[in-house]
Amino acid sequence: MMMKRIFIKPELCEGCKNCQVACLAEHSPSRSVWFVNLSDQSSQPRNYVELNNEGRPVPLSCRQCDEPECVSACVSGALQRDPATCLVVHNQKQCAGCWMCVMSCPYGMILPDARESKIAVKCDFCADRGTPRCVEACPTGAISLIEAPSPDTDGEYYVLTGGEQQ
Amino acid sequence: MKYLILGASAAGLSAAGAIRRHDPRGEITVLSRDSQIYSRCLLPDVLAGKRGAASTCFITEDFMQKNRLNWAAGSIAARLLPEEKAVVADNGDKLYYDKLLIATGASSILPPVENIRRGRQIYGLRNLDDVSAIAGAAENCLQAVIMGGGLVGVDAAAALNEKGLSVTVVEVADRILSLQLDQKAAGRYEALFRDRGIEIITGEMVSKIVLDKKENVAGVQLKGGRLIPCGLVVAATGVKPDISFLEGTAVEVGRGIRVNEYQETSYPDIYAAGDVCESMETFTGKITTTPIWSLAVMQGKIAGTNMAGVRRKAAGNFAYKNSMTFFGLAAVSFGLPEAPDSSYETYILERAGSYEKIIIKDGRLKGAILQGDISRAGVLGALIREDYPVKVAPDKLFDLNYACFFRELENGEFTYQDEALTSK
Ligand SMILES: Cc1cc2nc3c(=O)[nH]c(=O)nc-3n(C[C@H](O)[C@H](O)[C@H](O)COP(=O)(O)OP(=O)(O)OC[C@H]3O[C@@H](n4cnc5c(N)ncnc54)[C@H](O)[C@@H]3O)c2cc1C
Ligand code: SF4
Ligand code: SF4
Repeated sequence: MMMKRIFIKPELCEGCKNCQVACLAEHSPSRSVWFVNLSDQSSQPRNYVELNNEGRPVPLSCRQCDEPECVSACVSGALQRDPATCLVVHNQKQCAGCWMCVMSCPYGMILPDARESKIAVKCDFCADRGTPRCVEACPTGAISLIEAPSPDTDGEYYVLTGGEQQ
Repeated sequence: MKYLILGASAAGLSAAGAIRRHDPRGEITVLSRDSQIYSRCLLPDVLAGKRGAASTCFITEDFMQKNRLNWAAGSIAARLLPEEKAVVADNGDKLYYDKLLIATGASSILPPVENIRRGRQIYGLRNLDDVSAIAGAAENCLQAVIMGGGLVGVDAAAALNEKGLSVTVVEVADRILSLQLDQKAAGRYEALFRDRGIEIITGEMVSKIVLDKKENVAGVQLKGGRLIPCGLVVAATGVKPDISFLEGTAVEVGRGIRVNEYQETSYPDIYAAGDVCESMETFTGKITTTPIWSLAVMQGKIAGTNMAGVRRKAAGNFAYKNSMTFFGLAAVSFGLPEAPDSSYETYILERAGSYEKIIIKDGRLKGAILQGDISRAGVLGALIREDYPVKVAPDKLFDLNYACFFRELENGEFTYQDEALTSK
């Protein structure tokens, strides 16, 4: 089936971090950039603008992988791939804070919560909005939505090399 | 097609899901000694009273139904008859198969210590039953001794400490968590544990369990002579694969059941996955057991896929990774905890309560420890697993992140570049 994924064009990124502020606000109690409390760590962005080795900014976010390694590593079942939406969803109530997922995502896209370091936090694709707020907030088009084909199965195991099909 | 799976945990149930995906019609039977589905990794939380037994279930409620699995819960495989393609259960039932998966995991070992089999309050920590037994004994005593300061031992110690018991850990190595951490990182945990009132004794071992007349545990005697009174002993000195029912068969076994990269054993139509098997491990390039959850899941999926007739090789069979958190301090480690000789370079950074260490040989990462801030762990793990060449200035090592390796596929997924990373 077709799924939505955030496509990144780093050459367009100006490093303004609007996407990170948007994510921070969306996951804060008020959902407002105006009211977001920057010293309250419970509002934590789930996307990251990082500098590469040439000092250029690259906006990064969870890929909602077809075969997510974070899901294979999750010891509690908190992480599951939803075959209906092709999103990798995290159930905070079930999470045990064991950090198997943090250790296993090859891209570093799932992290401990900044305030208490008790549960993992990852991109939820702003599931209750049509378009993720970071995409709406990007002024340059460095992040945009694409439609991509994806298997409509529960998360199968995934490895960097993709596994070898014979 | 008749599939039989022994074991209903990480490996067995991942395999069942994979079989069903590729074979909508086959008949799948799962046999397990466990009468409940639970994640072993969450048992310390149950013991500590932080999580109910019901919420240790790691599969969705409809998993059995959706995948149409016949589950024989609480039933033990007693004997394998490979020529007949059958397994005899402990109740005498004979179950026939076309394809068999052995995913029976491992059990705790009781080390050879005087009275260890006679004493009543001596337990491993592997099954849900162990948790109720330990919790029961903990009700009736104030002091517990943990034999072994590995991950399971330290987990048990922290859990019993949270239950209010006075806990002593006895570890033969010079530090706790010696396979996962170096002196510095282990030392930080030892200090945390001591602050919480847990006694840590290293470089020592239990030589005898002291029993009263009714064979109740009264204490342990250490090799050095010290006597520690206690009413409960947890043996956390390692595990051994559960393969006794293979006795007398031609299935090749080393420490675990030997499998190839398709999870096939030496015997036709018999597969193995998870803690019960030994396979070619990526980091060491050697055949070893790979007793971690994520690999049990990966191997189970590969086994199931191949059993259903779709050929697929296991990859990323990297067992040298550990994550942990004790009393609020998180740590992740990969590969070697210490440089074995001077051909390795070691880099250490301490910042804002975090301890970070990276070990490099010939421009490739061979080990990493992150304690405190673990947010860069995933990328370091991928670089070590893939033996990826990394040529960056030492001061940039600790800031390595995926932006340095960014490569996006047409479908928006990430991958790692094939060219070496060189800093400009
Ligand atoms: C306390 C504890 C904490 C852990 N924490 C972590 C962690 O944080 N991260 C990590 O990666 N790993 C951790 N592990 C290891 C992890 O639990 C195992 O790697 C994983 O459970 C292996 O899965 P498996 O399916 O191979 O075997 P198991 O989980 O051992 O399951 C074996 C299954 O086979 C059944 N069985 C056994 N013998 C028979 C028989 N003769 N007949 C029928 N059925 C049988 C059992 O009932 C069970 O259903 C931990 C383990 C323990 C004990
Ligand atoms: S957290 Fe990592 S492994 Fe999991 S879906 Fe996102 S990018 Fe993939
Ligand atoms: S931290 Fe939570 S989501 Fe991550 S592997 Fe552990 S239980 Fe699963």
